[in-house]
Amino acid sequence: MNRINQLFEKKKNNVLSIYYTAGYPGLGDTVSIAEALEKSGADMLEIGFPYSDPVADGPVIQASSKLALDSGMTLDLLFKQLKELRNKVTVPVLLMGYVNPVLQYGVENFCKACAEAGVDGCIVPDLPMYEYEELYQDVFLKYDICNVFLVTPQTSEERIRKIDGLSKGFIYLLSSSATTGQNLQVSDTTSAYFSRIKAMELKNPTMIGFGISSKETFDKACQYANGGIIGTAFVKSLQSPNPAEGVSSFMEEFTGTVLSQS
Amino acid sequence: MKAGLKVCGMRDLMNIQAVTALHPAYIGFIFYPGSARYIGSVDPELLSSIPATIKTTGVFVNETLEEVKRLIALYELKAVQLHGAESPEYCAALQPYTEVIKAFGVNYSFDFESLIAYEKVTSYFLFDTLTVNHGGSGKRFDWSLLKQYRLNQPYFLSGGIGPDDVNELASIDDKRLHFIDVNSRFEISPGLKDIELLSTFFTLWNAAPAAKNYNDMNYFVNEKGYYGDFGGAYIPEMLYPNVEELRQHYLEIINAPEFQQEFRALLKDYVGRPSPLYLAKRLSEKYNANIFLKREDLNHTGAHKINNTIGQILLAEKLGKKRIIAETGAGQHGVATATVCALRGLECVVYMGEIDIQRQAPNVARMKMLGAKVVSAVSGSKTLKDATNEAMRDWINNPIDTHYIIGSVVGPHPYPDMVALFQSVISEETKKQLLEQTGNDQPDYVLACVGGGSNAMGMFYHFVNDKDVKLIAVEAAGKGVHSGHSAATTALGKEGVLHGSRSILMQTDDGQVIEPYSISAGLDYPGIGPQHAHLFKTTRAEYVSVSDEESLDAGLLLTQLEGIIPAIESAHALAYLEKMEFTGKENVVVCLSGRGDKDMETYMKHFGF
Ligand SMILES: Cc1ncc(COP(=O)(O)O)c(C=O)c1O
Repeated sequence: MNRINQLFEKKKNNVLSIYYTAGYPGLGDTVSIAEALEKSGADMLEIGFPYSDPVADGPVIQASSKLALDSGMTLDLLFKQLKELRNKVTVPVLLMGYVNPVLQYGVENFCKACAEAGVDGCIVPDLPMYEYEELYQDVFLKYDICNVFLVTPQTSEERIRKIDGLSKGFIYLLSSSATTGQNLQVSDTTSAYFSRIKAMELKNPTMIGFGISSKETFDKACQYANGGIIGTAFVKSLQSPNPAEGVSSFMEEFTGTVLSQS
Repeated sequence: MKAGLKVCGMRDLMNIQAVTALHPAYIGFIFYPGSARYIGSVDPELLSSIPATIKTTGVFVNETLEEVKRLIALYELKAVQLHGAESPEYCAALQPYTEVIKAFGVNYSFDFESLIAYEKVTSYFLFDTLTVNHGGSGKRFDWSLLKQYRLNQPYFLSGGIGPDDVNELASIDDKRLHFIDVNSRFEISPGLKDIELLSTFFTLWNAAPAAKNYNDMNYFVNEKGYYGDFGGAYIPEMLYPNVEELRQHYLEIINAPEFQQEFRALLKDYVGRPSPLYLAKRLSEKYNANIFLKREDLNHTGAHKINNTIGQILLAEKLGKKRIIAETGAGQHGVATATVCALRGLECVVYMGEIDIQRQAPNVARMKMLGAKVVSAVSGSKTLKDATNEAMRDWINNPIDTHYIIGSVVGPHPYPDMVALFQSVISEETKKQLLEQTGNDQPDYVLACVGGGSNAMGMFYHFVNDKDVKLIAVEAAGKGVHSGHSAATTALGKEGVLHGSRSILMQTDDGQVIEPYSISAGLDYPGIGPQHAHLFKTTRAEYVSVSDEESLDAGLLLTQLEGIIPAIESAHALAYLEKMEFTGKENVVVCLSGRGDKDMETYMKHFGF
């Protein structure tokens, strides 16, 4: 069974997933950050493969992507690092990025490389559902790679049902329609949106992301979903050199919460 | 290609002249004494004043062959349309004298197999509503009956077609439908046509998207948003509701008569259309061909960009949007957007690369004066690509009240199709103007520069299915295609996804977008629209490139031969003339997409004025 499905089978609440950009702040930091995250209690890792034109990202992740690219990060290099990573880390790993590098790599090659490197899933925000279903789903299934779709407050119920049907792994709930790095405003409307999704009783687990930066917002996310994803706030905290050293102090705030409640 | 139009049943001199001015493909006169629109005896002079490009047609019902032949000779009829029980032998007897159209009244018991005997002895069939009076009932027959029609003979569709039928007609996907015949639903009284109603219908019909599968190769978008392998909507979920809303409504909104009326009125009275098609005499002499310039530079705000922004602002209003965003390279699209926002009183934010802000200062000032907020894009190459990224990010963050006016035929479906539709007025006018000036609406060559490709797509649109017209798209080679400083997308690019659609783009082996270079800010873009990628891959259009240097020289040449200072973008199209060879007979249309005011500093620096 895929590590993502295993995770949600044994842990239904307060799942903590951390996003960071591969090759940032240093080209070789991908593995050590993963190790430090697992040690500090991260349940899942989302590793960004950088792209020159990340339209869904705010300034922090844009800057980290640019730096990683400038330092020489490529998909080939990343897959090498991921093989090493998989020898040291057991939590599920997803790759997150944009569709063009995947197309150039070849979707089949990409999924195969993921499987060989122990990657469990992908989040490719600009890969549309239609193209996924028509052209790529079979390949993803063949290599047992979970493709994770996003849902926003504007996504219709009908479409959410369709996404639920196509998803394996979990569904990524965006706190609002926004680029990464905005602060989660837990207003009445977001609460209503999260409650609406919860009431749909989807077959897939849900994770809330975009804008979670504090214990308070993480707790809020966990009220409505199986867990939360922290991205920009973590990337911002990474210091060069030796970024792994700061990981445990960043994570304390969140894992403290997790441990006390589980 | 779309079906042509035929107007039938006039009697009155002034009325005939007014219909002639609309330039239908056929004008029909009814020589059947039993009809309310019987022409009686008219002066043959009257019909002979109708230009040869319109086919004068006599409509007969069971007339003697001798009489028909006499009238063909007397009125020099180009076609006869036979509405009675005329036999195949009867049709054959007329064929040596004129084009024969055999009409049939269609109802549920009509036997389409009975037409086989007529196939060889006629040029066209005409399908009309079956009535005892041989047509003219003002009622439509059930068009779905045409599914039973299996022969290859092209046909006219007739019977009760009215002013509101444009969309339905445009959706008929049958390459055998060559002409549409209108009559009684456009009348003030029998035989007297309502010219205003007809004229609106002609405009709407000409603007309606071409029937999709006229040729085996379809060069236009399919229902999934693809042009062959290219197109689609590669967008994050955050943009889905916005793009989906557009996709569902754009055709319905654009094709609505009141939208077209408002759009056309603004193009005429505000933009100053139609833009002239100017035969550049001295340039023609130099290149030994008839060079026609389509003068988009004379539009309000100085480029073709305003055709699209007028269309999109009206669309945004219909969708209830309050805030407009746009990206801009040269600043022309930004100015055109800021202009229509001022015109309609909407908030406007324009994203522009930091480098472009420096090199297009006059346009930045214009946008500000027009009340737009200009936001500098400081990521990446700090040019058009990055401005587009920033605009997309803004849209993601403002999903409800904001409409993104994309400035070229790029972006997720339906943008490429929508922008092409708005720009297609360029070739729509050109065809008419060519017909008037040369007697042929098809030139030998059509040239346009390509950044994202909107002026080129507008210039190509109505020629794409005219197989004999050679389409040439000119890209910016910058300092040379292989110099590392170029924007020659088709020469350097590979298939991939950029800004929401699958197309051809300049990228590394790893799929990272390469930063392009051109002296012309409007062409400094690493991709082309998906329809261009399709025209390129199917070789329907030829993609070439010229350098900075060559385009500046072409700009100077046009200025000194014709007294027209072109935008450096447009000068790229002109520069390619230098590389072509002509025999003196060719008709060549070049899209002069914009004027050079904004580029004076670059010209001055280069030529040291
Ligand atoms: C005058 C002019 N021509 C051409 C272009 C290129 O755009 P497109 O290829 O969409 O026509 C621009 C863009 O700014 C322009 O200002």
